[in-house]
Amino acid sequence: MLKYIVRRVLQMVPVFLGVTILLFVLTVVIPGDPIAMRMGERNMTDAQRASIRKALGLDKPLYQQYGDYLVRLSKGDLGESSRARRPVLSIFADLYPNTIRLALAAIVIEIIIGIGAGIISAIKRYSFMDVLVTLSTSILVSLPVFWLGLMMQLLFGIKFKEWGLPYLPVVNMTSDQFPPWAHMIMPSIVLASVSTAYVARIMRSQLLEVMNQDYIRTAQAKGLSPSAVIWKHGLKNAMIPVVTFIGLDLGAMMSGAILTETVFNWPGIGYMVYQSILQRDWPVVMGGVIIIVFVVMIINLLVDISYAFLDPRIRYGAESS
Amino acid sequence: MTKRLRTSLALVLVLALAAGFAGVAGCTPAKTATPAAPAVATPVKGGTLNFYIGEPAVIDPIDGQESEGIQVINQVFDSLVDFDPLTSKIKPAVAESWKPNADATVWTFKLKKGTKFHNGRVVVAGDFKYAWERIALGSNASTISYHLAPVKGFDEMQAGTATELSGVKAIDDNTLEVTLQYPFADFEYVVGHPALAPVPKEEVEKDSKAFLEKPIGNGPFMMTEPWTHQQGIKLAAFKDYYGDKSFVDGVNFKIYKDDEAAFTDYKQGNLDFATIATGQIKATVKQYGESPDGYTMNPGKQVILGSELSTYYIWINTQDATTKNADLRKAMASAINAQAICDVVYEGTRVPASGPIPAGIVGYQKNAWPNNSYDVARAKQLLTKAGFPGGAGLPEIELAFNVGRGHEKVMQLIQADLAAVGIKVKLNGQPWETYSSEWLKVKDGKFANSDTHQLMRLGWLADYPIMDNFLYPMFNSKSGDNKSLYVNPDVDAMLKTARETTDAAKRVKLYQDVEKKIGEDQPLIALVNYRHVRVGSDRLHDLVFSPMGLAALDKAWLSKAAK
Repeated sequence: MLKYIVRRVLQMVPVFLGVTILLFVLTVVIPGDPIAMRMGERNMTDAQRASIRKALGLDKPLYQQYGDYLVRLSKGDLGESSRARRPVLSIFADLYPNTIRLALAAIVIEIIIGIGAGIISAIKRYSFMDVLVTLSTSILVSLPVFWLGLMMQLLFGIKFKEWGLPYLPVVNMTSDQFPPWAHMIMPSIVLASVSTAYVARIMRSQLLEVMNQDYIRTAQAKGLSPSAVIWKHGLKNAMIPVVTFIGLDLGAMMSGAILTETVFNWPGIGYMVYQSILQRDWPVVMGGVIIIVFVVMIINLLVDISYAFLDPRIRYGAESS
Repeated sequence: MTKRLRTSLALVLVLALAAGFAGVAGCTPAKTATPAAPAVATPVKGGTLNFYIGEPAVIDPIDGQESEGIQVINQVFDSLVDFDPLTSKIKPAVAESWKPNADATVWTFKLKKGTKFHNGRVVVAGDFKYAWERIALGSNASTISYHLAPVKGFDEMQAGTATELSGVKAIDDNTLEVTLQYPFADFEYVVGHPALAPVPKEEVEKDSKAFLEKPIGNGPFMMTEPWTHQQGIKLAAFKDYYGDKSFVDGVNFKIYKDDEAAFTDYKQGNLDFATIATGQIKATVKQYGESPDGYTMNPGKQVILGSELSTYYIWINTQDATTKNADLRKAMASAINAQAICDVVYEGTRVPASGPIPAGIVGYQKNAWPNNSYDVARAKQLLTKAGFPGGAGLPEIELAFNVGRGHEKVMQLIQADLAAVGIKVKLNGQPWETYSSEWLKVKDGKFANSDTHQLMRLGWLADYPIMDNFLYPMFNSKSGDNKSLYVNPDVDAMLKTARETTDAAKRVKLYQDVEKKIGEDQPLIALVNYRHVRVGSDRLHDLVFSPMGLAALDKAWLSKAAK
């Protein structure tokens, strides 16, 4: 197992190099001059442009810029935003904890409600609950995230206040009137909404399939209680696709959630990276993508390791192939 | 509270759909009675004003360029002079008096004694010199160095051959002498830009990164803690401020990603100043009342819709084989229905422009350009005069613009208006990233990459409330911002004379004459001016949001101090 983990970690190095090269090429290929973007509609003299380019190190040949970048990266320096004059690392150090907070809250909702609803609708097949879950997940999957967010803001923030009911904060991460957890309720529900529906559906179909297997019948025949059959034999075997999906989803959420962040004015990294692309603030885009790639690779590794615990047939490090 | 919240949570799924219908109902404004403002309201002290901004790029004056950063810099820093937020007239700030020499090349500013930085140190003339050199120094890559381009020694600072602005001298602690490279009688307005404020050298040199996050200035408000990025910037009234003390205890700049999120928070009662969300102007005016002057917010008159110092226009290449015909240019200007553009595309957030200079600029003349208004009969007449009756014999003309932000719709309306009088136009939409910096690049009086440009969309936002800020860069034959490649020696000479005229009234008259003179050639079609689309809370009094988009927060007050 250890050997496997070490190999996976080593594999990250070429992936990193590939990502940095790709990003570097993109900064050259994508049209738009970062300096002109900062100037708005104003004309710049060539001398002004040249002095800014020089100050930002953009006058050097490309291979040298890339080499400099790698050297700095190896020291943990992601450079400085060309627009904000701030170190890229401190930009993400400020915002990443907020993204993690929101993602973890959403994942908890996804796990509890998604898996719970999936189990209930699978074991009580064709019951009222099953129909309710199937119907509500269909609706959730088809709702645009931003629309759901806007409607929840209007109802639980604005209308509830007008009606004199207890209401929720509509935007932001903190305020004087509300505790921080109250600020997390709406954004985390909205961020989790679509994925929760998927988790419930995957869970239901997987569990239904597993429950038809011979070994379940054997377990039932040997007199195990229904709950023991479901928990020990059914669920564990049905979990792998669910864990895979949740792992991928966690990776996606850790890369930022542009729509949710925008609707709820959540200070996460998704919007930051998006804005930096529009502004052609390449150091921020590169730094952001590198951090995201790193986090996603770690999560994927953890998901792969968890397979071994869920399914004893999966072994790592055996080097069979 | 916890239990109640949990109950609301349980309703989430069930009510999510119902909320959809609530949303439809929510479009009609609630019939809340707007509180009538007392006849004479006496200002109350205290309270914190919650003000909406987007995330600034930088709040250090070194890059005080985009609107959000400038908003903060304007509160934290004071420059030599200031502008009246309503009339744009110049008034003293750190400088108590100033005068130019006979040809406006040497300016002497007398500073008020004993004005202080937020760290307690007295502001001296050398602080201006230091701040300006910081901006002018090429290796500092400031985006606003162009403000100082008239100052002697600027070019050397940019090139890196000098470390001192030779034109700026601190004669003594209270006297600043500025020598320019050329006569510029409006230079007094330039030094009113919020980013040309003094900067305490000791603070920058101690820790320039810390200064970037928590600048220390000399304005009516000071930062109490470093900027919390993407969330907010907190300011408190500066006790030792030399001018009138502010009524409010502090200002909380709350940072939002877009107008919609801020407007929702405003609706919940958490903001005193916000931008009205798209499509909500009429309902908001109905609910909260409109400010009579378009710039001052008071309870019951909370919506401001005054015009801003910016113009949206179409350049016409005056050297192109087809569009060099001045009568044709006037015909096009007469054929476009700008009011329809404002109504259809902008839902009233813009107003038709009648010339390049918007209202709010000192010397603004209504209907400055006689042909820059919608009149189909005149358009047809002019087209005949141009030699193309009904458009006969006129080749197709290209209209270039940058895609996005609703420009396509505007261009389609223009295309239809021009087609109606017989002028065929084909549209050429381009991405902004390359449109402005490459496609429209003018070098030595020619387009750098092609000479076929005919009509080109662009906009202009004033840095200072003066006519020169539009006329000189846009119509001087040597300017890189002159995209019509307009060359008129008379205009060049008149602009030069105006810049040398130190008598303010005479100078304004000269600029007005130049504006009219340029109108005879119609090198561009002024389409619309931008408008404020802002709303204040029902506890906010006397807040003036100037045509330049700067809030006079030190003069505003809140009726309920506690919140």
